[in-house]
Amino acid sequence: MKKHILFYIVLAVCISFFCTEANAQAQNITISGTVVEKANNKILPGVNIYLGNKGLTTTDYKGKFTVTVPVNSTLLFTFIGFISEKVKIEAGQKNITVTLTEDKKGLNEVIIVAYQNRNKESTPGAAVTITAKDIQDVPTSNVENLLQGKVAGLNVQNNTGAPGFRGSVQVRGLSTLSVSGSGSESFLQPTSPLYIIDGVPLDADKAAEFGFQTQGPGVSPLSLIPVEDIQSIQVMKDAQATSMYGSRGAYGVIIITTKRGNSKVPRVRYTGNFFVNATPQLRSTIGGNAERQAKIQQILSNATVIDELRRLGQTGFLADSLNAYWNNSTNWQSIFYGTTHNQSHNVSLDGGNDRFNYKANMGYYSEKGVIKNTGFDRYNLNMNMEFRPNDKFRFFGSLFGSLGSQAKGNGVGLLQQGVAQNGQASTLLPPPSFYLSPDGVTSALQTQNSNSTRNIRTNVDGRYEFIKGLALSSSISYDYTSDAESTFTPAAANAQFAQVYDYAGRNYTLYNRNAITYAQTFGADHTIFVNTFNEIYKQGGQSGIIRQTRIPNDQLQGPVGSDSYNSRGGGVLSNYRNATIASFAGSFNYDFKKKYVLELSYRLDGTSSNGLENPYSKNPAAGFRWNYYKENWFKNWDWLTSGGLRLTWGQNIVPTGTLQSIYGLYNLNGNFNNNPTIGINYEFIPNPALKPTTTTQYNLGFDMTLFQGKVDFTFDTYYKKVDNLLFDRFLSNSTGFQKKSSNDVSIADFGYELMVTFRPLTAKDFNWTVSFNGAINRDYLLRLPAEYNGQYIKFDYNNRQHIVFRVGKNTLSNYLLTNQGVYATDANVPVDPVTGKKYQTGGLAFKGGDPRFKDVNGDYILDDRDYEITGNSQPLITGGMSTNINYKNFGLNIYATYTAKRTILNNALSDRLSIMRDPYALLAAVPLNDLDIWRKPGDQSKYPNPYSFSRFNQIQPLRSDQSLWQEEGSYLKINTVTLSYMFDRKVVRQFGFNNVRVYFSTNNLITFSGYQGPNPENVTSLGRDISSGYPVPRTYNLGLNIELNTSK
Amino acid sequence: MKKSVIYILAAAASLCLPSCKKFLNVQPIDKLTGNNFYQSKDDVVANIYDMSRAFFGKINETHFIGATGEYRSGEVLYEPQSDNGPARAYVEVLGRNDLIRLLGGNQPWDFYNFYRITDWTGYYQVIQSANILISKLETGVPGVTEAEKKQFEGEAAFIRNLAYFYMVRLYGDVPYYTDAFHSTALPRENMVSVFNKCIADLKKYKDGLPWTYSDPALKGVRASRGSVIALIMNMNMWNAGFDKANANKYYQETADYGQELIKSNAYRLLPITEWATVIKGRSDESLFEFFRSINYGDQNLNVAPIGDMFLHYPYKRPEYTHRISFAYFRAEYMQKLYSGTSDKRATIWFNSDIYADNGKFMMLKFAQNSFATGEEDANPDNTFMIFRYAGEILLCAEALAELGQDDQAIALLNKVRARAEASLYTGGGGQDLKDFIFLERSRELMGEGHHYFDLVRTRRIMNGEWSYNVLTLDKFNRGAWTWPISSNALANNPFMSLNMYWVNGGN
Repeated sequence: MKKHILFYIVLAVCISFFCTEANAQAQNITISGTVVEKANNKILPGVNIYLGNKGLTTTDYKGKFTVTVPVNSTLLFTFIGFISEKVKIEAGQKNITVTLTEDKKGLNEVIIVAYQNRNKESTPGAAVTITAKDIQDVPTSNVENLLQGKVAGLNVQNNTGAPGFRGSVQVRGLSTLSVSGSGSESFLQPTSPLYIIDGVPLDADKAAEFGFQTQGPGVSPLSLIPVEDIQSIQVMKDAQATSMYGSRGAYGVIIITTKRGNSKVPRVRYTGNFFVNATPQLRSTIGGNAERQAKIQQILSNATVIDELRRLGQTGFLADSLNAYWNNSTNWQSIFYGTTHNQSHNVSLDGGNDRFNYKANMGYYSEKGVIKNTGFDRYNLNMNMEFRPNDKFRFFGSLFGSLGSQAKGNGVGLLQQGVAQNGQASTLLPPPSFYLSPDGVTSALQTQNSNSTRNIRTNVDGRYEFIKGLALSSSISYDYTSDAESTFTPAAANAQFAQVYDYAGRNYTLYNRNAITYAQTFGADHTIFVNTFNEIYKQGGQSGIIRQTRIPNDQLQGPVGSDSYNSRGGGVLSNYRNATIASFAGSFNYDFKKKYVLELSYRLDGTSSNGLENPYSKNPAAGFRWNYYKENWFKNWDWLTSGGLRLTWGQNIVPTGTLQSIYGLYNLNGNFNNNPTIGINYEFIPNPALKPTTTTQYNLGFDMTLFQGKVDFTFDTYYKKVDNLLFDRFLSNSTGFQKKSSNDVSIADFGYELMVTFRPLTAKDFNWTVSFNGAINRDYLLRLPAEYNGQYIKFDYNNRQHIVFRVGKNTLSNYLLTNQGVYATDANVPVDPVTGKKYQTGGLAFKGGDPRFKDVNGDYILDDRDYEITGNSQPLITGGMSTNINYKNFGLNIYATYTAKRTILNNALSDRLSIMRDPYALLAAVPLNDLDIWRKPGDQSKYPNPYSFSRFNQIQPLRSDQSLWQEEGSYLKINTVTLSYMFDRKVVRQFGFNNVRVYFSTNNLITFSGYQGPNPENVTSLGRDISSGYPVPRTYNLGLNIELNTSK
Repeated sequence: MKKSVIYILAAAASLCLPSCKKFLNVQPIDKLTGNNFYQSKDDVVANIYDMSRAFFGKINETHFIGATGEYRSGEVLYEPQSDNGPARAYVEVLGRNDLIRLLGGNQPWDFYNFYRITDWTGYYQVIQSANILISKLETGVPGVTEAEKKQFEGEAAFIRNLAYFYMVRLYGDVPYYTDAFHSTALPRENMVSVFNKCIADLKKYKDGLPWTYSDPALKGVRASRGSVIALIMNMNMWNAGFDKANANKYYQETADYGQELIKSNAYRLLPITEWATVIKGRSDESLFEFFRSINYGDQNLNVAPIGDMFLHYPYKRPEYTHRISFAYFRAEYMQKLYSGTSDKRATIWFNSDIYADNGKFMMLKFAQNSFATGEEDANPDNTFMIFRYAGEILLCAEALAELGQDDQAIALLNKVRARAEASLYTGGGGQDLKDFIFLERSRELMGEGHHYFDLVRTRRIMNGEWSYNVLTLDKFNRGAWTWPISSNALANNPFMSLNMYWVNGGN
């Protein structure tokens, strides 16, 4: 119960304030007046008038009011978007005019903190808001793509072009060093921020739990949200801002608010996009006879033994040029890749006012991938409605239904291995036809794959304000997702056995939140805000598969029986989930004259997956904000519109233990003496002493708005330390167990974030905005378990691109052979003065044209002892910039993002060069004229001789574990250029429209980079450019916004 | 108004928090984690059987009994004419104590997986499992009575000490621990000290175990007080050989426990004509065994039983690959065991080619209970006997003889001989008696994996009279009698060292 003490304290504090309400009664006078806007002298209806903290009335439609108040009391006039004004009523006053000034500092006044709308000026956390305007006009299957480069410190890499899939998202650098998978398919455990959609938390990593090899449809829940329906996106970065969201907020929080009805007359709006996805630059290949000649030439000039020359005559496709089967020039890549035409439509209907409003949004999105047989379709119907019967009650309900349907071809998840392999086939082979088609091609093109994710989410929210300032609210939501995948592989595509695969899964989350908030102003200067709530989750999920092979023919897809010969296993998959979470949170905010703000908060999360011994994660945070511009000494600085200094600290303490790591796992092991046997699983030794992972973050922020909003400037610097990260230690075999989960690993991130916006022109007909943001993030490994002496190498025997963790360096470094160029001639190969033998590997001496590997240990033998630590797979600098010009009816928006200082392993290039390793294989020949390769003795080149096939397997000149493939992955990408035209209202009204706007936009237009590979962004989160990845297409779009004229 | 607010808040808070613990306790249905295991007596029993299963796994993964306990002193030769003859040559490689070659790889006998003997992980898994079970029993398992708790603790203690017993005999010094979830690396501990700790541990739990089980299916299969006594006796005798200074103490303890075992009358020697019952398992003679039965669908590795080497058609099929045995005991050795005097074992446990010195030789001791039909290639369905009453009677006799109590020793010796319907020992005491008891153990326990360890602990391995592969005192002291330890043991353990005799090339 100790854990709850803090919660009770918060409650007690909250309660005690009721008793301190002060009241003074004196002589009353009646006073009336008008409220006007300062700039245009327009009247303001609906302005709230308070006496102390007591609401009196609001101005009528003419901006007039009448109140009866004690003499010498102070009235407070507040109106959203305007600076509140205080007026002291003195005896004898009858009629007053109150002038309110439009509030231009911090253009996004209201932000959402811990599910409550708050004034940004009175919250110390680091939060950035993006409005619908910033993300419109570009059709995309996943809204995350559009966040790229919009917020400093939010690193989005759109590293796959597969429709419906997600890229990688990180807030403020690396938070994990958990790497799974092997070879090029290694992936970093995703640490995506917590998404909250209309007050309902959502798990964005859901479909990514298995890395590239996604089980099931793999449609990200974020892909199911239509971009057109989004009102605003708020990104919370520091620990103070996220602490109230608990352990799931450790990686940042992104709050998405969908549109609400807001129009007296119902509005009907339509957005349509027609877009073309263009194939990116593909690998160039040598076609037809030229390929044959190139290969023959390679063999003739590089063969070292007579058998290799003889083999030329025995290799049909090289020798038998007249055979029709071998006499083709097929462009294999064009069979798999192609330009596609796509569309999206969205209709929304909304209406109402702040008493009652409603909205319905219907969307359709269809995108075909640039790889054939892949694509993503989405259908949506979202509705919400809000009702305030009186000032005390508020109800909100929403219904969100969507269907995402994805075709993955024969690929698994993010990879298109089959396409990558078959795209390398020799051009001499005939193109695929009904009778003649290699397995892989049939598989890629004929596999019938249908995937769908159906999601329905409902949310009901009620709020009751007992007395002014004290409100009770409750929210309940249910989110149900059903995933289905079915794949039928025809016999020709699967070694003459047709195959059926079926996946069915379901997931649900029941979520309830109850909150009590209390806001009170004491005197005129002291304001407190108390927010306490609890949350309860009940989550569950289960999925299973069946897989049958050797189906009788390509027509019958079932029913098929199960037996040991035909069945290929199945049953419930390991993503079974049944979990409950209960949380309690409280925060206390105090401000003095809106000048000094102090906020303290605390949250406890208990989850069922952490065992009963220590189920609670704790999140204390504290923040302080100083709105310095309100100080007297800045009074005369007219150019300073607003400004604040923020200092926050927060901790996120999350238990890392699972039931399994605390208690161990017990397996059923068959029978002994005809009795079942159950024994412990020896892979992991239970470790009940696991410490919770603790993320501590400090943030110092500085905001400044100058010249009435012409310049906005925000700077943040932070230090984030993640302690007690989980790390598997290997045990001595005399313990019987293999591994122990320990948490002796710490990493730290620190960085700087800057966001600047200029609005040099803000005329009525012509305005221009330029904004820039950037973030520098460095990560360091601080600690490893003692027995590793500060270095741990994660050996990868798949492609030997090892990862090294070394204390004091950046967390994820490569461990490679250092390539120092190419031996120009045989004479350049060093000779061991002791033995007289040349520098060698695997018993074979290096020659001219071979790569010059650094002999780290100086033994004149290249082996496993010659690896060195090098590179950093995580980007150092990320950011974006945009400019927006509106002139009369025209609009132009250009928006670019950049990433700098990261190491990419160009495995695609190594694959491409390696095609030449075996000229006898039925693989394409690639032109290498564009590369600086060694061709003849004496050449000073960058790349070794790829043609020397007979020594290839021993020397491995193109081995993937060398620094030759390490390239700088900096890039500047012009994401979007949008040109729009708004038709004259008077004209379109004649046709029954209220508004018509057309626009032309592009996405992923051009990337500037020194990188040799196709796209420096299209790489894995560990910086590996894999040739089986899905290319990111370039998109050209023609769009239309229409609003119907519904007023008459 | 204010009051009602306070009441609402208080009510909300008091309702939410206490129920929280219950709300958060979710037991997964897709796996057994520690929080939903050890919840009943059945869980404990399943866990005890799992330890036997795991221990048997070490014996079943290779031709364990022969390789470790029988062939290393050179009494066995292989029959080159047998099926896959070159692969059977390993018995002679073992007989020369050339373990380096045996384990070298690229040998025709690689499929025997002898390298697995060098890996002790499996024993430590059994030890961890037993340690965990004991600690769980100490904290209490629902539905387990006090008596049952003591019995289960005794069974767990037995199996972990059996693991130490096996490891010491194979590797010499080994790391020793009894705490649950032990995860730190330990150095190897002197084997005499390990056994002394084991003996103390066994004594602590011994009396919690029943002498025997009324359920015939559990006899010999689940550890009983007799199993524990047998293990204590064996450990004492081993220490007597290596801790000469305290030898008498160990002999005395062995003799005392042996007499306690005999006095209990819980076990008996079955008539030699009922040998098939003994070797099938679960008999009154069994002190501990790993019971196997085709009726339960138990699958043994084809090469695991010792009988695999010494049987041929019709006990093994198909005939065309099993016309002769793979190996045989030297005629000279067999004559030494069975010369002159009458002994039913010579006729019941062997075929008429007992002195043939070739593949016609058959050890019928393991030919019983053969259910193979047609051309099925299967071994007879026998149990894997670990401790047998007869062996412990002889061990007690040996201890008594060492203590000079010759009359009692002879009485016990003759008990075993009488069961074999062999002529009773009438010779004198002293060294003659000791040698005779040694030979009697060789006769009685042949093929049960005790012979080589008897040679080692009595140091007869250094005497050409008793061994075809004599170790010099120097080699013996450097650990030539041990097995190499897999270099895996060095990983993640800075305190670990391997057996230097084998690291230095095995000579």
